[in-house]
This record gives sequence, C-alpha cells and structure tokens, in this order.
Amino acid sequence: MRRLAPAVTATLFGILLGGPALAGDVDQRALDRVKAPPLGLPPVAIPAGDPVTAEKIALGRKLFFDRRLSHNGTISCAMCHVPEQGFTVNELATAVGIEGRTVRRNAPTVLNAGYQRSMFHDGRDTSLETQVLAPLVDRNEMGNPSLGYVIAVIKGLSDYAGRFEKAFGQPAAVAPLGRAIAAWERTLLAANSPFDRWHFGGDASAVSDAVKRGYALFSGKAGCTVCHTVEDDHALFTDHQFHATGIGYRNAYATSPDDPVRIQVAPGKYIVVKRRDLGPISEPPPADVGRYEVTLDPEDRWKYKTPSLRNVALTAPYMHDGSLATLRDVVTFYNVGGIPHPGLSPVIRPLGLSHAEIGDIVAFLESLTAGNIVELVNDARSIKVGNVGD
Amino acid sequence: MIRSIGKTVFTAAAVAALLSAPAWLAPPAAADETCMSPYMAKITGQEDFVYVWTLGANGIGDESDKLVTIDVRPGSASYGKVVASLSVGGQNEAHHSGFTDDRRYLWAAGLDTSKIFIFDVHSDPAKPRLHKTIDDFVSKSGGVVGPHTTYALPGRMMITGLSNDKDHGGRTALVEYTNEGELVATHWMPTKDDPRGAEVGKVADGYGYDIRALPRRNVMITSSFTGWSNYMMDFGKMLADGEAMKRFGQTVAIWDLHTRQPRKVLDVPGAPLEIRFAWGPNHNYAFTTTALTSKIWLIHEDAKGEWQAEAVADVGDPSKIPLPVDISISYDDTELWVDSFMDGTVRVYDITDPFAPKEKYKKVIGKQLNMLSSSWDNKRKYFTSSLLARWDKRGDDNEQYFKAFDWNGSELVHKFSIDFTAEKLGRPHQMRFGAYSLYGKRADLPTKAEPVHHAAAKIE
Repeated sequence: MRRLAPAVTATLFGILLGGPALAGDVDQRALDRVKAPPLGLPPVAIPAGDPVTAEKIALGRKLFFDRRLSHNGTISCAMCHVPEQGFTVNELATAVGIEGRTVRRNAPTVLNAGYQRSMFHDGRDTSLETQVLAPLVDRNEMGNPSLGYVIAVIKGLSDYAGRFEKAFGQPAAVAPLGRAIAAWERTLLAANSPFDRWHFGGDASAVSDAVKRGYALFSGKAGCTVCHTVEDDHALFTDHQFHATGIGYRNAYATSPDDPVRIQVAPGKYIVVKRRDLGPISEPPPADVGRYEVTLDPEDRWKYKTPSLRNVALTAPYMHDGSLATLRDVVTFYNVGGIPHPGLSPVIRPLGLSHAEIGDIVAFLESLTAGNIVELVNDARSIKVGNVGD
Repeated sequence: MIRSIGKTVFTAAAVAALLSAPAWLAPPAAADETCMSPYMAKITGQEDFVYVWTLGANGIGDESDKLVTIDVRPGSASYGKVVASLSVGGQNEAHHSGFTDDRRYLWAAGLDTSKIFIFDVHSDPAKPRLHKTIDDFVSKSGGVVGPHTTYALPGRMMITGLSNDKDHGGRTALVEYTNEGELVATHWMPTKDDPRGAEVGKVADGYGYDIRALPRRNVMITSSFTGWSNYMMDFGKMLADGEAMKRFGQTVAIWDLHTRQPRKVLDVPGAPLEIRFAWGPNHNYAFTTTALTSKIWLIHEDAKGEWQAEAVADVGDPSKIPLPVDISISYDDTELWVDSFMDGTVRVYDITDPFAPKEKYKKVIGKQLNMLSSSWDNKRKYFTSSLLARWDKRGDDNEQYFKAFDWNGSELVHKFSIDFTAEKLGRPHQMRFGAYSLYGKRADLPTKAEPVHHAAAKIE
C-alpha cells in the first residue's frame, strides 16, 4: 500500500471539508499529545528550559506552512512534508526545491520526528531546533541568502507581529524560529495503530492473523528488529544507527548508460529507453555518499539512518532515494539480501521468505498506521498556507 | 512617427462570416495568430512586432525574465532585430502570455512565482511598458499556483492554473480576473471527489493547462498537464522518477462557458496540452496533442450534441517520445501544425478530414523546438526554442532561438533567426503579435536600426 487507504482518505476529506477545528482546541490537543503520547510511543524528551506551550505550537505551525519563508515565496516546509501524504511527499522519489532545483534524497516524514536522535538521512544534525533552520538557507531547498534575511522577512510580515514576543518573550530571531517549528513538530505524535492496540494494548482483535504472522517473521526469521527495534512497552522501530544496504553504492558505481529506464507515459503504458537517452535532458546526477559526508570515515560510505517504520504505509516511495515504490518491493529487496558490495551491512542477508511470508510482513507494516493520523492532518490544516499578499 | 489611420479591427465573428462568404471573397489579407480568443480584436495587414516572453537564464545577460520585442516589418531597417527588451526581475518561469480582449494589455505569467506581469502594448507597440504586476495571485485565488494560459473573455481574463499551494501537485483551478486586474472568482477543476456537477469518465484528475472557448456552442475546454513539482524539476530526473510520472494529466474538461460550470470530463491520457478550436462556422471541434503519448486528439461534438475525445493520429514515432508541445491550426481548418520538442521538428498535417489527419510536411527547425505562431493568412511562421527552464536540453543541444519562416504552401523558407544566447536575452518561450493598426496608428518605418536598451521594468 503506497497511499492512504480509500477509507482513510475519505475520512480525511470528510473531516477537512468540515472546516478546520478552532485554533485553540487544536493547540490544546497538541499539548495533550505531548503530555500523554499515543499508545506505543515513549515519553517525549522536551529540551530543558523550553517547555512546549500553545503559543509556540501555534507559531511553529504557522511558520511551517508559510511559503513566504523561501527566497521567492514558493516553498514552505510543508511543500516537502505534505500532511495528506504522510507528512512527506508520495508523488516524488526525491524532493524538488526552490526554482525546481534537485534535492538528492527522499523527504523523510515529520511524524514522530521528536524521537529522532540525529536529523536527516545522514544524521548530520543533532536537534530539531537546528535541523529546521538548514532547509531555509539550503540553496537547493528554500534558497534564502541567510538566516538573518529570513528573520528580516518575518519581522516585515504584519501577521507575525507580536507572535514571537508572546511565545518566547523576545522578537523574532534565529533561535526562537528553530524552537517554534521544533515545538510544533514535537506534537506530531502518530501511534495507537492497530499493531499498538494488539501488541501493547492486548486487543487480539485489533489486527488480522496475517499481521500477527508478519510480526512473528519480522521479529524472528527475517530479523528486522535488529535495526527496527521494538521495546517492551513501546516501539520506535529504529536503532538510530546507520547502515549500508547497497542502494547508495549502486547509484555511485553500479549503473550503466545502457541501463533501461521505464517511463510511464500514461496509465498502464510504458516506454523503455536507455539511461544514456536521458543525458541531453538531465543535469549530472549529484553524488551522495551518505553518512561519510558527515564523518569522513570511509567505513561510513553509503550508510543511511535506519528510519522508523511507524506510518510506513503512508510514506512511499521508500529508501533514502525513493527508489522502491511499494512495501512489497522493500521487503523483497531485503529478502534477496540487499545489494552485495564490500560495505554491505552484516545484518543484511538473504532471508528465504516465501511470497506468502512477504505478504504477511507487508500486512504487519500496514498495521503501523497511526490511529490518530486524521487528527494530525486536521491539526496541520488548521492553519492557512502563508502566501505573498496575505 | 506615429499617425492615426482609423481603426481597422474586426473580430473572430467577422472572420467566421468571411469564411462562410462566397468563394470570390478571399480570406482577409490579415495577419494574426490563429489561436487567439475569438473575442479579441484582429489585425488587418502585416504584423509589426512579435513579443517574446523570455525566461531569464543563469549566466546570460541580466539573468532576468523579460519581454523581448522583435521587429518583423518588411522594409524596416530593424527588420529581424530585437528593438526592445524589458526585464521584470527574477526568474519566474516565464511561460505563456495573452492579450485582453481589447488587445491593449498583454498578461504574461510566471509558472514558478505565480506572478502576472501586465504590459501596456498599445501606448507604444514598439516599446511595451509594465503597467501592473499581480503578485498575490496565490493568496487571492485561494491557493492556485502556476498561472498558465491568460485567455480573453469579454472584459475578463480567464487564467488556467497548473498547481496548488497545498502539495504542489496537479490539482488546480481556473481563476477569473477583470481586465483591470481584480479577482472575480476561482473555479476549481472537477475531480472524482468533487465533480462539481460534471459527468466524469474514468478519471477526473482536477489538473489544468490550456483553455479555449467556442462561444456559439457555449463551450469552454480545458486540458491537463502536471503540477509544480514536475514542471519545475530536472526533465531527465522526472522521466526516471516512477512516482512523478504517475502525475500527468489524463483529461480534457468541457465547461459551460457562460455559467463556468464543468459539464463533462473526457479521458485523454498522456498530458493533453494546447487546445485549438477550428474556425469554420460549422466546425464544432478542437484539436489537442498529448505530450507523453505523442498523439493528436480530436475533441468534437457528435450528432447528439455530446462532446467526445478521439485519438486520430500519431506524431512521429511515439516510442521515441518526440514530445509534441505547441500546435497551430490554419484559418481555413485545413492544416494543423505541430511542434515537437525532442526532435526539434515541426510537422504539418492535412486536417481536411479532422478524423484522419495526414502528415504532409515536416522540417527540423533546431535541436529543440517549442512554440509556434502563425500569421492569420498562413504565410508567416515564427518558432522559439525553450520549453521550461529545467526541461530544456543541456550543453550544445541547448539552442535558444527565435526563427522566422515564410510558408509557401509546400515548404518553409527561412527569413531570419535571432540567437537568444548570443544576444544575452535568455530562453525564448511564447510569442504574441503586435501592430500599430490595432490602435488606429501607423508608424514610419525606421531607416536606421537603433541599439537595444536592456531596460528594467518600472510601473509608471
């Protein structure tokens, strides 16, 4: 499953068509989530001396959806973290930034970002507060000339008048900008999934037998929990570590101009060309060496952070480059042992799963969709997108 | 020097009357694009200028989007030369432009920033000036991104969007403005979830691209391309992105022109782009081409009054994705001209039988080819090279040109070319014609070519 199931989609539209909830209610519910995370999640770590408040949440949400915060007024954080698309983008393998510039990697979901120990696929940042600032001045993302420029823009927008003062007791500045967006992102706690209600809640009827078989394989024969960890009373499904699956290596070394590229020109209709045919209409693909770019340790070449699997059915396509379209593709990829190369993670090996067993694992993964996802989408859409001229 | 010569303007209604007149009454010796709104004033005589809405390109001149004016008056000392260049600032993904019905103003839109630049082309047709900039299009329209076609209706401009501010995907709307630049309404495209009363086929994607009207049948037609993420990104990257390629338009929508209500959504898979209605008084049909599947489609009203879509011909070899982009229909509905980007080729189809177009001529214009503008009398053809900033070819294939040809009925005869890179102008996209005669004026032909001033647009 790559998109919201029709029933979920219909529910989302039904609620959204009913209009956004009152802002105060939304902020209060967000605060409540932080105080008591949904079933299956651990407590949220709040930075010392910076309590989450309704004012910070509301300001952070507004900033997150404001397209005026990019250099030419076209890109907000939310353009690559679309609420209805699992707070990532289902419609692109890798993100597209300001003026269409190429972003190298698949946009990760913002759901449950508050639990991340390092940020970005390569873990190059260490806190949400600093991470959220990076895309603002990344030339290929939001393209601003400097953080000071962004602050000046915010100070010039009348609808932000007094907002930073109310939330932080000081005018708009770089640190509170990061703290505001981080505060809202920390409230995006998405759990109480069918798996949670079964595994942690003890409701045997919450999931199907296929899900139960799938989890047994996931945590047993397939060994997925080595990296996608599950604790006794909660699960984030990540070891927060970096691993090489071979996809990064393949992109660097194991492609040929003669590789076929299958292009969909209409539903069900494809044309196959060679990679070389795309040369005259392509910029040179940017290099991507993964975690190595942070540590400069050659052992870290093409390693990427283990993603959480929560809500994974909503966040297609998969892997750091979005190269796998479906959950079945991903499980099949691991079933054959990834892509062999000298740096391949030792925990990745052929799994010997049957077609039916792969289906069971996929069923399990689909059971990780949060029971409160509609509430989170509704929270996100409670704010109007900020545009030039507002 | 500009003199008054009296107004010699007539409309498409008059054109239709002429076409249905006795054979001895030849088609007017008029010159104008054949793809214009039927509500718009037409020119008698030779077009004087071609306005080229040009994308700024990095490393080229001032890198800014600009309106470039080219003198096409035979006998002029500056014939075939750029006579004005007006930079608007920034790279807005300059794309299409269109005149108001009175043809006094040219609305030129940017697909990226969603700005619309309104140029005064009547005060001095040789030197357009910036009259107004709409920079709150997204905010005012309720979230429509990527204004594309700016199409003249009586006193109004109907603007097609390509995207939206929620996800930068393809769901979008028509946005209606007064000629003065005030928002009238946003008409969202019909979708499966919200068909807005329209009869829906296999899909209703809610995507947009071009718009044309056939007033005597009370019909408006829209086509469907793709959202911001796709049209802005690197072309090769997009083609290789399986998810991105699922998000192209598959529909043509039929609208009630007067009520602005969608009536029917037709299945036209493969990204249908430009729409051109036939001009004949009994020709209730239009053509479009699908960019990805390289087909010519006929959108026609059947005997029961129902609008239908039918693929009627291929453009080149579809397996090589020639990518048909712009089309132009001749005033007498006998020729359909089709530009395709990848092979840089224009093909001319005999459409005497609209259900069976037959290729009768083709010519490679350049290493890449996009827009095409034809004079009304079908004798002069103008071509430009640029498709989209990140879809244009790279390296030596990235030719950026304006080329003028005469068409003698059997072949194109080259008249002149302008290298937009060498002239430090940018990527030339859409063309529109200007003429003094529209405004009751006439200018003496210059006897000496003046140097071009690369002016900065300033609202006066």
